[in-house]
Amino acid sequence: MIQYHDVIKSYTKDSRALNKINLHIKPGEFVSIVGQSGTGKTTLVKTLIGEEKIDEGKIIIGGWDVTNIGQREIPVLRRQIGVIFQDFKLLQKKTLFENVAFAMQVCGGSSSKIKKIVPHVMKIVGLESKMHRYPMEISGGEQQRVAIARALVHRPKILLADEPTGNLDSLNTNEIIDLLLRINKFGTTVILVTHNREVVNNLKRRVITIDAGQIVSDQEVGKYVL
Amino acid sequence: MFISFFRAIKFSVQDVARNIWLSLVTIIILVLTLFTVNMLLVVKVVGQTAVDAIKEKIDINLFLKTDAPEDRIEALRIKIASLPEVKSVDYVSKAAAMEEFKQKHQDNPEILNALNELGKNPLTPTLVIKPKNMEVFNDLINQLNTIEDDIIESRNFANYKTMLEKINAITDKVSKAAYGLSLIFIFISILVIYNSVRVAIYTHKKEIIIMRLVGASNWFIQLPYLFSSIIYTLFGVAVVMLIFWPFLNLLQPYLETFFVSYNVNLVQYFYGNILNIFGIQFAVASAINILASLIAVRRYSKI
Repeated sequence: MIQYHDVIKSYTKDSRALNKINLHIKPGEFVSIVGQSGTGKTTLVKTLIGEEKIDEGKIIIGGWDVTNIGQREIPVLRRQIGVIFQDFKLLQKKTLFENVAFAMQVCGGSSSKIKKIVPHVMKIVGLESKMHRYPMEISGGEQQRVAIARALVHRPKILLADEPTGNLDSLNTNEIIDLLLRINKFGTTVILVTHNREVVNNLKRRVITIDAGQIVSDQEVGKYVL
Repeated sequence: MFISFFRAIKFSVQDVARNIWLSLVTIIILVLTLFTVNMLLVVKVVGQTAVDAIKEKIDINLFLKTDAPEDRIEALRIKIASLPEVKSVDYVSKAAAMEEFKQKHQDNPEILNALNELGKNPLTPTLVIKPKNMEVFNDLINQLNTIEDDIIESRNFANYKTMLEKINAITDKVSKAAYGLSLIFIFISILVIYNSVRVAIYTHKKEIIIMRLVGASNWFIQLPYLFSSIIYTLFGVAVVMLIFWPFLNLLQPYLETFFVSYNVNLVQYFYGNILNIFGIQFAVASAINILASLIAVRRYSKI
């Protein structure tokens, strides 16, 4: 599904954010990418969604070589990867329904299809009764669930979660992780980038550890070792 | 494609409505700027009217001999009136000239006393010749110089030429200054509109980045903002028209008092050129708004 071949990314001459990363994530996997702050986790996420270009190496996603992806193709790539962020990144002036629908609208989805699918997805994340509220009117945990709904609505093969529980309490954290596990059960490849030790250790799934831009550990049933 | 196009319009209207204060501020800035531009136009029209009024006041006096017979004066008057450069020729008799003189100097008893002392009317009958316009003035003077008639007392038009040249020089300078000032104000207006739209889009920076991260293409992000620009311009021009109309109607009586016996009607001028004036303003303001939107959105959607 996702392949990184000798990927190097530098922001300055002296330091490499990603230093010869070799990675292979199979379809349907649930992978946690862990590491302390500044080790390259976010850079990895950015290179995956085309936000940053790499200096050397190759990135292949679902058979598509996205190493030198053009500006015009980036939106196409992003429509195929669902992404959720630590700060939720919801559109504040749109209702929850409109936020989720937006992901389908950018793909040219028809109004009838949107009216059918969005409520269904909102039900999956448990927010069908709050569809017409605005993001500022709901809690952080609920906002993250809306972000997940938006990421899922066009049925991506990959769901990338970049520190999704960073701004949440432990109760909401557990809810979000449970949701991600349920999504994974349906066959979606889930990549969870986190520095939450407890979450990683409870998951008992594949754990890739990054330190100083390099993969230092890759365990099928791993633990947070740093 | 059509779905996305209509969606863009819907997003645009939603954006304007849901960011109502920002929309209001942007429209107010537009209104103030367009009002300034229209005031410039008013100043230009009034200025031009004043210049024309001054120029129209210039006429040529042809002084005739005191004993010139009335029938020959009338014949000369008709001859001059038939010249293509002439708008009108009025005959001021000795007696009428004296009355006019006394009226003009009624507050000056010394002059009136001196006149009484003379015992007779020293003034001569005069033909007051108005040219059709200032461009034919020199031609008219040349024509008058060629007329042979012994009832003409004097025909020294050198003063008129000098005066006309001075007036033309002044009015040219005033026109150029007004033109230069207009250009400066228009440039400032363009900058104000451009920057107010960029600031409005800056407040949407986070939204634009989010839309890009979710997979929206550049044009899908840009189109609603372009439509919003047109909506702002439409409202701006409409409000300016609503404000300017009563303003002109208020101003009109003052102008009529100032330009006594001279036809200056701003309301009619604006009404007669409404499509040109406000149409051009709408087109230019829209173009500036759209350009500013394009540049600003493009800048933030490079994620």
